[in-house]
Amino acid sequence: MNPGPGALLTWIAGDSPVHRAPLWLKYLLLLAVGVLGTVWRTAPVGLGLLALSVALYALAGRRVLRAWPAPLRFWWWILALLGAYQWFFVSPPAAVGLIGCMFALVQLARLLLLTTRTAALLDGLTALATALRIPPARTTLVLALFLRTLPELSASWGRAREAAAARGVKRAPLRTATSLGVTAVARARDAGDAIAARGLLEARRPDEPAP
Amino acid sequence: MTASTGIELRRAAVTAPAVGGAAARTLLSPTSLRLSESRVALIGANGQGKTTLLRLLAGLIAPSSGTVLVNGLDWASDAKRLRGSVGLLFADTAAQLIMPVVQEDVELSLRPRKLARRERAAQAAAELAALGIESLAERSVYELSGGERQLVALAGLRAAAPQLLLADEPTAALDLVHRDRVAEALLASEAAVVVATHDLELAAECERALWIHGGRVVADGLPEPLIAAYRASARGAAPWPTGATS
Repeated sequence: MNPGPGALLTWIAGDSPVHRAPLWLKYLLLLAVGVLGTVWRTAPVGLGLLALSVALYALAGRRVLRAWPAPLRFWWWILALLGAYQWFFVSPPAAVGLIGCMFALVQLARLLLLTTRTAALLDGLTALATALRIPPARTTLVLALFLRTLPELSASWGRAREAAAARGVKRAPLRTATSLGVTAVARARDAGDAIAARGLLEARRPDEPAP
Repeated sequence: MTASTGIELRRAAVTAPAVGGAAARTLLSPTSLRLSESRVALIGANGQGKTTLLRLLAGLIAPSSGTVLVNGLDWASDAKRLRGSVGLLFADTAAQLIMPVVQEDVELSLRPRKLARRERAAQAAAELAALGIESLAERSVYELSGGERQLVALAGLRAAAPQLLLADEPTAALDLVHRDRVAEALLASEAAVVVATHDLELAAECERALWIHGGRVVADGLPEPLIAAYRASARGAAPWPTGATS
């Protein structure tokens, strides 16, 4: 399996204070900085949140800190595009504020995934879903599939590009995107089959009536 | 004790509907058979209907006509009860692993039992240990080799404790070490096993074999003579069969 950018979200083992922090505290912090970075998108707040993200990654250990710049390798062009637009059409401080807040929030959300086992995330969600009287099995499975889909799509993108390159075809984003779309549909069908094949949900067959 | 397969097909057929200009295609002709052995092999060339039959038995596709019964329960009316008792190991196990870490993926199969967290983790660890892959527990599923992935997918299925375990090309493209471990695990399983395979050595270990060709069960019996006949056809020493036993 090609890890591709999917590895950006994979849990990194550790015993740091960040790893050991209770799930509710991580969510609370994420919510607080999410509100801060969305409502006050200024340059000082953006830079402050970026500094906070680096500090928390460092607190989570050397391996986690080394993973901090990894998303830039894949997403730099989105940040550059948005930043350039803001810089020239709004103002340089607005560009710093927007990009700083956006990237810092992505990094802090990512830190949650890097330092929390998916099983713990699912247990937290199950408890919340039970409290809210939402079917917990379906809710947790949705989260599991969501977390699985992101790396899978990234890996599919990488594979489509490699397959084209292996046949001497130049970069063709439209063709790659088409291939990605087809693969995504096939993978979604496979995921449904996998759930049924493992008896995880009482999935219905096409000929079964709805409950 | 090993369970028996308890499978019955009553004129079950699968037809792919016409799409665009292409006509409807018969993937599995009306087939009637009873399987009560605990180890059954499906052999035959690529694209002849082995996977279609497995998916039919797993309830992933519905028969276009006829009935599919597993342990006396009909997939059409008892899917809810059957779902947890039949597991399918995919040919592409990459699609089968849902969680990002090996241990978590095996634990996922145990979630429907609503066990305490520690109990769930202990059972998942035991499943991994039973297949000799406990060292992979903390590994990312993205970093596994093909053979390791196959064993992890098998551990995930075994954790769900199915009564019937279906496997689609479980030893394809594996090195000898992983091939032997997967084959050994399947043959030692407490569940009844139906395996579609090109690995004729594995097929020979089963109690009964079905040769599937052109969407039909063209031969059914003890593995050894059936494998010899299949080999002869595949190597051009005998014509491909045209008749059907059912």
